[in-house]
Amino acid sequence: MNTQPGVFTGALKMDEVPIMQLRARLKSEIGDGNRLGLLTAADGADGHQLLTLIIQTQSGGVSLLNSPLPHDAVSYASLTPDLPQAHWFEREIADLWGIRPVGHPRLKSLVMHDSYPTDLFPLAEHVTAATARKRSRRAPYRFTVVQGNGVFEVPVGPVHAGIIEPGHFRFSCLGEVIENLEIRLGFVHRGLEERLTRCDWRMMNYLVEAASSDTAAANATAHAFAMENLCSVPAAPDVRKMRYACIEIERAACHIGDLVGICTDLGFGAGGTAFSALRGDVLGVAELLTGTRFMTSVIVPFAHKYMPAKPLLIEATRRLRTCSSQLRSILPLLLNNGAAIERMEGMGDIKTSLARDFGLVGPAGRASGIAYDVRKVIAQPEYEQVEWQPPTYFEGDVFARTRVRAEEAIVAMELAADMVSRITSSHEPDSSPATLPANSVGVGIVEAWRGELIHLVMTDSHGRVSRYKIKDPSFNNWTALSIAVRGRLLSDFPLCNKSFGLSYSGTDL
Amino acid sequence: MLPSLLNYLKSPRCTADEIFPDLSAANRGLPAITSAPCTHGEGCTLCADGCPTKAIELPTDEKPEVALDLGKCVGCGHCMRVCPTKTIVTSRSTRTAVKRREDLVLRAGRPTLNVDAAHSPFKQSVVVRYVSTGDNATDLEVAACTNPIFDASRFGIHFTASPRFADVLLVAGPAPLAMQEPLCQTLHAMGQPRVIIAVGAQAISGGMFCGGYANANGVSSVLQPDVWVPGNPPHPWMILHGLLLAMGHPLALHT
Ligand code: SF4
Ligand code: SF4
Repeated sequence: MNTQPGVFTGALKMDEVPIMQLRARLKSEIGDGNRLGLLTAADGADGHQLLTLIIQTQSGGVSLLNSPLPHDAVSYASLTPDLPQAHWFEREIADLWGIRPVGHPRLKSLVMHDSYPTDLFPLAEHVTAATARKRSRRAPYRFTVVQGNGVFEVPVGPVHAGIIEPGHFRFSCLGEVIENLEIRLGFVHRGLEERLTRCDWRMMNYLVEAASSDTAAANATAHAFAMENLCSVPAAPDVRKMRYACIEIERAACHIGDLVGICTDLGFGAGGTAFSALRGDVLGVAELLTGTRFMTSVIVPFAHKYMPAKPLLIEATRRLRTCSSQLRSILPLLLNNGAAIERMEGMGDIKTSLARDFGLVGPAGRASGIAYDVRKVIAQPEYEQVEWQPPTYFEGDVFARTRVRAEEAIVAMELAADMVSRITSSHEPDSSPATLPANSVGVGIVEAWRGELIHLVMTDSHGRVSRYKIKDPSFNNWTALSIAVRGRLLSDFPLCNKSFGLSYSGTDL
Repeated sequence: MLPSLLNYLKSPRCTADEIFPDLSAANRGLPAITSAPCTHGEGCTLCADGCPTKAIELPTDEKPEVALDLGKCVGCGHCMRVCPTKTIVTSRSTRTAVKRREDLVLRAGRPTLNVDAAHSPFKQSVVVRYVSTGDNATDLEVAACTNPIFDASRFGIHFTASPRFADVLLVAGPAPLAMQEPLCQTLHAMGQPRVIIAVGAQAISGGMFCGGYANANGVSSVLQPDVWVPGNPPHPWMILHGLLLAMGHPLALHT
């Protein structure tokens, strides 16, 4: 059954697809232009099952497929050979459940580091003695070795030079040129999905906000929609406007923040200064509307907390419009700057075909010709009041990604101003149910600033949350970064990296 | 070149002149405890019931006052909003860093944060090595300290890529298992004397992550911080307060 997540349409049901048929089904779905939203596992009545979420890019609906593994089975035929975008999903499943995708071209751990016991598969709960016997221990991590005359390795991280998250980059270089980059993440794996099934469901919003805490508003919104979808309780119109306005403000602040980073990596200090002052102004609007610069603790399922009074809404609308016109006026400093363009043009390019194979999302996808934007695909009336199109380019280089992000920031502030100006009351509605429905599932999908963000929640026969999955947009995009820098100079890596602006904690969870 | 120069000349000075101003009136702030008597005796449990991190301990016979642990507080605003007696209120002060973990536990007898003037090995200037362990909002607020608004360098605070040059290890995030060894290695690469600062509720207590298989229970499971900066994430002024407190800077000591 198909339904539109984020827009209340009633209970979401799962279709059972036998595991033997899953590969063919996905191949045809993706071939038809649909998207693999996420692939994960859960515990079923009789052992493990694979869950696949497909997004119909034409109709804006989703379908959720459930493929039980045979009793006690801990392996299945890998989907990656046909579907390259499944490769990290399958590694994650292997890490957290000990389920082996047989035939995966590069199976190694993704989030479970060698510091964990090799027989710890933290999300596999209902494991029979037979399953436990069949599961093999996690193998120690081995980097791909590039051999050849004069090839040497440059290890970078986990502690990086700048004020950013930890991760490890293993460059294999020939002279200054990068032959291969292997990205080793998982350093900030905090066991988030396990924590979510342990905490009171009324407190889950605080935990999802910390999934990638620079994306608090989008995570809280996807969570709220997932919970409302689970309970078949629609959100009030003003609540929806406020949530989307927060996501748009977050988008503007983060894109402008990364423009600062791009200026810094270009050695263009004057540009960085101008953008960072503007970022402060945008955060000031966030503070005005929600009480914090990162808009935490206000977006909750079934309600909205601290709904601002009308004068604050008017003030916020005015300031958002000022920020947007200011960004328009300072953007040429970077985008019409010959020296900057020279560094960005043609750098770290990703072709459309590759972007499609790996299922790239968000600004990185749109810079490579993939127009997919959740805000356009899944009908949301809040986004239809203003005439706008997601900027799309085909070059796929640093310059294209920078332009997409800059133009999106301008649109985001205009959209937010429009939504905020349409909020009619400061009443805080609350339609929280007393309990969650049993054996149900809910999905929330939003376009976070990095791209498509999906939350999936499932309950057991007692109405307890038994599985919670977050798919951060970065999860789809990391591979593209490692491909974009092949054949480039080592010194161009920071700029390429910043143009993608990916989240480590959102990926590691 | 010319447009950049023009913009540069046209834009007003944006550096904040007031040091440690209170947060704006719109900001939710952090909770503070007053001496107004709590009505828990008559059955009120409103604050503790809605606290996501169980930061609030209600009075008992042995401990007759409410205790609120800012090291666990994620700043959700619930307790300040619901307390009928104004025992828990809002504080918008940005001088929030402390030197002892127990000083983050607020009680009626000790309502405000205690900033003692204990000596610091550094005075005029410190070089900081920042390590993030999974809280990228705090990364952004630490980075904001270096922007022209907050301008950390005017206080003699500089960030470095190499722990070899660093005086201060500034750590954010809940320090999950896979980051514990890199964190220790970074510390051991630093010279002496050195100071460790835990920045943000996640670094102090693990925040909402506390208690899972990833051991994301905060920095103190592997290091002993000398300065603690509450907040989720802390405002850049709060982070600067922690750094200046670590320096024993007079600006950090007046309350
Ligand atoms: S503001 Fe802090 S102490 Fe108060 S309820 Fe929220 S998390 Fe708990
Ligand atoms: S809400 Fe206020 S009065 Fe009630 S228990 Fe908490 S501190 Fe006491």
